[in-house]
Amino acid sequence: MKPTARWIPYFLVAPAFLIFSIAILGPILATFGLSLTDWDGFSTPSFVGFENFVRAFQDKIYMNSYWHAGVYIAATLILEVAIGLLLAGLVSAKRNTTFYRVAFFTPVMLPLVVISVLWSFLLNPDLGILNRLLGQIGLESWQHIWLGDQSTALLTISVISGWIFAGFYMAIFYAGFQRIPSTIIESARLDGASEWQLLRGIKIPMVKNLTEVAILLCFTGGIQVFDLVYVLTNGGPYDTTQVPTTYLVRVVFRDQQMGYGSALAVILTLVVVTIGLIYNKVRTKDDAVVEY
Amino acid sequence: MRRNPFFHIAMAMYSLIYFVPLLWMALSALKSNEEIALNPLSLPTSWDFGVFAEAFTAGGLGKYAINSAIITGTCTTAVLLFGSMAAFAFTRLKFKFSKQLMALITLGLILPLQSYFIAQNALFDSLGIKDTRMALILPYTAMGLPLAIWLFRAYIQNLPKEIFEAARVDGAGDLRVYQTILVPMLKPGIATVAVFTALSAWNEFLLALVYIQNDDLKTIPTGLLTFSTRYSTNYHLLFAALTIVTVPMIIVYIIFNRKVIEGLTEGAVK
Repeated sequence: MKPTARWIPYFLVAPAFLIFSIAILGPILATFGLSLTDWDGFSTPSFVGFENFVRAFQDKIYMNSYWHAGVYIAATLILEVAIGLLLAGLVSAKRNTTFYRVAFFTPVMLPLVVISVLWSFLLNPDLGILNRLLGQIGLESWQHIWLGDQSTALLTISVISGWIFAGFYMAIFYAGFQRIPSTIIESARLDGASEWQLLRGIKIPMVKNLTEVAILLCFTGGIQVFDLVYVLTNGGPYDTTQVPTTYLVRVVFRDQQMGYGSALAVILTLVVVTIGLIYNKVRTKDDAVVEY
Repeated sequence: MRRNPFFHIAMAMYSLIYFVPLLWMALSALKSNEEIALNPLSLPTSWDFGVFAEAFTAGGLGKYAINSAIITGTCTTAVLLFGSMAAFAFTRLKFKFSKQLMALITLGLILPLQSYFIAQNALFDSLGIKDTRMALILPYTAMGLPLAIWLFRAYIQNLPKEIFEAARVDGAGDLRVYQTILVPMLKPGIATVAVFTALSAWNEFLLALVYIQNDDLKTIPTGLLTFSTRYSTNYHLLFAALTIVTVPMIIVYIIFNRKVIEGLTEGAVK
């Protein structure tokens, strides 16, 4: 429709657009600009071209941080998406499962910092109940300084992440399952299909696009993981859990290297955008599957 | 539907993975430090709820909660108001540059926080608003707007066009249509956006960590982290703090669980 007065649409859009421009759009452009400079945050930035980017690709800690994020993403694909899918299958197979759905989703809405502090206690070598429980059931050899050991720290963080977000993916898949026409499910049941066959043969194929969205979220969320790692290990021990964001915060706010930090931020941004573009290329564009 | 007690037993066992940590947290708050260290799995010997009051006042949790409430309330209101206004203009009114403006705002859905927070930090530094609540309200509002506009747009597109045209025929101006027709019809969408925006603001950590150093202005996530370093050996006080932060959220969540689950999943999937 044509607006009743010419100024009205601009008046309606202006507040949102102004806030967005000041807080996000401008700073994005400025970060790209800063990535070409050497700047400590106080003096005048000096132009250095692509030096920061060259340095970034030679920075072992930064390159390894992507490897760590990759391991974390691979682990959470199983611990969050696959388990979430399985849980959704379970809670959609029976009636009266609201209780479980609400319980499994609880950690998703709590602050990650709170959950991280809680888990650092659960895993605390002196007070924590995990080692205590292992001891009581005769598995002393499994007791471990979970977050302090270079070989287990990253996987421990992934498992905690799974504890938090499996319920999130369950909720997404469950909502998808509910949208499958019940006649399809009922007729398969009448034909004697088991719940497991239903899940594999009908439900999972019909929410294929949701699975793709879930995998995308797992990638883009995983590459940006921060809160959990910062509180649980802050990149340690010996940088074995350093991920792109924790390293970025260290470079910018501890080492005061704004220019170099901006270059690291630009690289991370390009990685996230590339993941999004790849997703757009490969995702299924098929009307036969259930839309969310 | 087949009845199967095994199913519920197995699911209940699995639920323990979620309940045990939270229960342990709440019960440990009531124990003394020695009890926590010696018998981490036992029930508390006395039920002294004074520890919660101590965490709330002496530990400063009350102050953090107020900051979180002010910041979350302000930016949620702003996102709902400005977001619905912009979405209305983008979907129902024709104007110059509408496509370009929408495309720019859509960028905000894709680009990560890391792509702008360094320059944003420098900007806030030069504006002198670091260490004020504005330093969080402004970015949280800006971060919430793209998704809000996107979701509102989808809702408005599903409303029948004729309603808007009929109001126009009756002589209502666009601002009146927005107020009297659009906002009431948008209610389910408003609830979803409100849940998503409020929870993201309430739980946000990175910007809060970087922009707020003044302890009197910290929000719950950063405040709790300060708390946990300050009282790092006072275990039962720490557990009390964790419990105070968690329990009200769980209660609200149990009451509104459908809206919360819907808000968080829809917000992420769209």
